[in-house]
Amino acid sequence: MTTGAATHSSALTADRSSLSDSALVAAARKGDMRAFERLYRLHSGKVMGLCLRMTRRHDVAEDCVQQTFIRAWRSLAAFEGRSAFGTWLHRIAVNEVLTHQRNHGTRAESDEEAVADATAEPLESQRAYDAGEVMDVERALATLPPGSRHVVVLQTVYGYSHEEVADMLGIAVGTCKAQLHRGRRLLRERMGLPETADE
Amino acid sequence: MNESNKTGRDPLDEALASLPESIAPQRDLWPQIRAEIEQTPIAAPKSVVQSNWFRLAAAVLLVLATSFVTYYVTRQSMQQQVAQVTPEAAPAPQLTGQPASFTFGRERLGAGYMNARAELDKRFKERLAALPPADRAKVEKNLADLRHAADEISATLAQHPSDPLLQDLLMSTYQSELQLLANVSDLPTAGSMRTDL
Repeated sequence: MTTGAATHSSALTADRSSLSDSALVAAARKGDMRAFERLYRLHSGKVMGLCLRMTRRHDVAEDCVQQTFIRAWRSLAAFEGRSAFGTWLHRIAVNEVLTHQRNHGTRAESDEEAVADATAEPLESQRAYDAGEVMDVERALATLPPGSRHVVVLQTVYGYSHEEVADMLGIAVGTCKAQLHRGRRLLRERMGLPETADE
Repeated sequence: MNESNKTGRDPLDEALASLPESIAPQRDLWPQIRAEIEQTPIAAPKSVVQSNWFRLAAAVLLVLATSFVTYYVTRQSMQQQVAQVTPEAAPAPQLTGQPASFTFGRERLGAGYMNARAELDKRFKERLAALPPADRAKVEKNLADLRHAADEISATLAQHPSDPLLQDLLMSTYQSELQLLANVSDLPTAGSMRTDL
């Protein structure tokens, strides 16, 4: 066991930059903190992007990123490699964001609420833009209601499927589709893009 | 799509696709993450040995807990017995101080353990015989549980002889067994309590 770990350590020192996620995960699971740091360096940007777009606040997003990696370290033994390490991290990150928002009362708690959120007009408090202003996509995304924003971010920016997003967010696939539809419609409106026939 | 641009893609899709997936945190979060996880020993990968280890450890912890309870129960019982000790000797105990599992790692225990056990064994039998039947049954059960746990650990260790966790656990179980014997042996005999009165 010790010999194996030592061999692994040498390999890491020799060519850490070319190591795959799976090799780094294997080393980290043996307690190699440098391998885990490498994983952090490789993935923290994407996790931060995800958290920031979901929370819209740098400080909260950074807290979520931090907690994501701490939780990932503690759960490394449970990572079976059935999905990519990045995907696994994203799931943890989404969970961290949702937990944070639940604790701070900013998340729709049920499917019914999520559907209502998807079909309702934005609240005044969510109108953080000037009527008639044409926004860039990042700013427009930030003005979306949380339910729609989460789905749009996960699906259109990070490329997850309806099923994956629904699973990550703990909502029904139908709700996910409704949120995406609404999010896209609002984005077009705020970016000054004409609506499509199906939106 | 009536608003597709010259590339044929929906401008909204294009705009969304142009967003960078990565956004660097404004500060380096690693030092804080590292400080936090350094306090958390990483859970080892799942394996047969590991799952056995956890199961065995849980069993030993349970046994230890019940052993301590038994110790206090028997101690209290002996104190209450002071005024009503019967001179008849209790039936000879069926239980011996010999550990059930001594085939694996015996040499690791050393002569000190074996000598201590031999001395304790004699006193243990005497004290056990003097205990009220209910307390004696509890002690016997806990000792049997400990030895059963030692057997299981020993069997697993035989399959994975280089596993340090199992070795430690086996040693710890033997020590617990020794402690249980010592606890019972240290109980004052009925005769001595009577004399003290």
